[in-house]
Amino acid sequence: MMRKYAFLLILPILLSCAPRDKRQKIVFWQFWEMPVIQPQIEAFEKAHPQYKVEVEQLTWQNGFDKIVAAFASGQVPDLCELGSTWAPQLASEGVLLEVTDGVRPIKETYLMWGPVTVGDKIYGFPWVVGTRALFYNKTLFAKAGLDSTKPPEIWPELLNDAKKIKALGKDLYGYGENAGERHILYKKYLPFAWSNLGSVLSPDSKKAVLNSPENKEALEFLVSLLPYAMIERQDALDQAFKQGKIGLLVSGAWLLRTIPQDAPDLHYGVVLIPKPDKDKGIHASFLGGEMLVIPQKAKNFEGALELAKFLIQEDNAGALAKAVKTVQPATREAPKDPYFSQDPYQKVFLEQARTAVHPPTHPKWVVMQEVLNDALEQAFYKKKTPGQALDEANARIDSLLVAP
Amino acid sequence: MRARQTLFFLSPWLLTLAAFYLFPVVYSLVLSLLNFNPLNPSATTWAGLANYSRAFQDPLLCKAAVNTLYFVVGTVPVTTVLALVLAILLNRSLPGQTFFRAGFFIPTLVSMVVISLVFKQLYAQDGILNQALSLLGIPGRAWLLDERTAFPGIMLMDIWSAIGYYMLLFLAGLQAIPRELYEAASIDGSSKLSQIFQITLPHLRPVALVVIVVNTIRSFQVFIEVFVMTRGGPLNSTLTVVYDLYERAFYRFEMGYASAIAYLLFAVIFLVSLIQARFLRLGQPVGG
Repeated sequence: MMRKYAFLLILPILLSCAPRDKRQKIVFWQFWEMPVIQPQIEAFEKAHPQYKVEVEQLTWQNGFDKIVAAFASGQVPDLCELGSTWAPQLASEGVLLEVTDGVRPIKETYLMWGPVTVGDKIYGFPWVVGTRALFYNKTLFAKAGLDSTKPPEIWPELLNDAKKIKALGKDLYGYGENAGERHILYKKYLPFAWSNLGSVLSPDSKKAVLNSPENKEALEFLVSLLPYAMIERQDALDQAFKQGKIGLLVSGAWLLRTIPQDAPDLHYGVVLIPKPDKDKGIHASFLGGEMLVIPQKAKNFEGALELAKFLIQEDNAGALAKAVKTVQPATREAPKDPYFSQDPYQKVFLEQARTAVHPPTHPKWVVMQEVLNDALEQAFYKKKTPGQALDEANARIDSLLVAP
Repeated sequence: MRARQTLFFLSPWLLTLAAFYLFPVVYSLVLSLLNFNPLNPSATTWAGLANYSRAFQDPLLCKAAVNTLYFVVGTVPVTTVLALVLAILLNRSLPGQTFFRAGFFIPTLVSMVVISLVFKQLYAQDGILNQALSLLGIPGRAWLLDERTAFPGIMLMDIWSAIGYYMLLFLAGLQAIPRELYEAASIDGSSKLSQIFQITLPHLRPVALVVIVVNTIRSFQVFIEVFVMTRGGPLNSTLTVVYDLYERAFYRFEMGYASAIAYLLFAVIFLVSLIQARFLRLGQPVGG
């Protein structure tokens, strides 16, 4: 008999768990470590006492799988951080809240609307940007008889410097080129194509223009660098650069964070990615970053909007960027914080982000990217000439564009 | 009453089986007949058998299927034979027997992810393997970046990591063979080698069946190695069926198509296992 009422014993515990907090809950999923994000959340809650933010930290390993599962089941957060690679797919599925009118006043102040723009509608906010720039090893420059204060600015200089450094020895490489994995090569190629004013799709996204002379020239140039390059995965390339084995390497700002720990004595510099020639092209790079989006099924729109607007403010995104070092705020103007104007490396990355390009926002981009990647591999592994490879990929992308 | 009690005590297990095993299995069968995008479940449409017919015309999946078959044919026989030889060798009383048994078994205890990460470094351009080769004057290469060596490299790693477990199964099988048989054979003047073929191998048939079937199923599902080491590259030379279906599901969001591929793979594995069971005379007594 007693057993029947045993549950009464835990009743007080259950009751004490009942919500007493009158504040509205905002569920926020994000990828940064808690010490980085917590101060901003506290500041937000102080400024908006009607809200309480529940932060969940996702991991880079399975965070995106978790987001996909959330959309599949409808159990979505109110505000969600999303990598710029993934944002276009969710935006084009129409499962994100449209914020076009809300962001009109700030549209000009921020970079990187591409990943969340479909047609003339906008489905999210740019938060922080990440891009790649050219790292060079000053010691190897000096050894090769090159002026270490004059890093390459144009393609012929890049090729020449890589050749001279490669000639220094068997274990030394002029350049570092990423290969071997799927979904990677296009990120290494497109900056050169964009620098040469090429692109993948026509401006109206109706036709592929991948086999343009600009694109072919860019791929031929990249292939001409390969004999002087270490060809490896990015983590191995970064490692080799820190060990002083690679002269020139396109890499991300994560190196600014790891070089001081792993190779404090490395004598290196960072410059913009070279353009084709003195009076030709631009210093393009690959633009990526983190977006903030609100799922259409979110329970607390207003709160999520407030939080998003707060987080992307110059001071807040700047503080986050300063704490993690691997990204820059997505504001068009450099933040007032002297850290961004005085740090010689951050300055370059900020400038590079302003001429960096985001890949086309198209619902079928993931498939197009695979086609492009295949073509690049064919050219890298000398199965086809750059011209042939791009011609074939162009035809395949064209047929994707007409397919339903 | 007793049956009900049994059922009650089994219920935790039965419920988890139903929730986390049976339900997903049935659910993915349904998914394989739909066009289902997990990002936008409300836009789901009926596909019928279109996902299945698409699989037969998909050149990338074809490449993945050929690669997977290559992996199965390249690893299962080698693993089985090596595991058997090791088991027979380690079944004798050798000095350091326990040390060797443990040594061959240890890789089984290590997570495949960890093994893959270690081998990724081992095979790298300036990895240990190339350093060892350069001592011998042999030029190295980036093993995982060359389409000719990437997959064989992964296969070699798989054999190394799997061998200990199957060796253990064979060892258990060996110890179950009655000693009297060998004694009788020696008295009749049979040589050691003919004892292996006449006594050991026939008695190991049931164990060999388990080893071969289990290893074949596992090899058809090869995924982690590819996911960690190469992601299907270079030139799709290491793309396997399960890795391909993972990308379809979680990169391209074609959950329905991915489920159809999974069911086709299931059918292939089922057929192959049936053939193997028939061939190795499942359930028949030794000598039968």
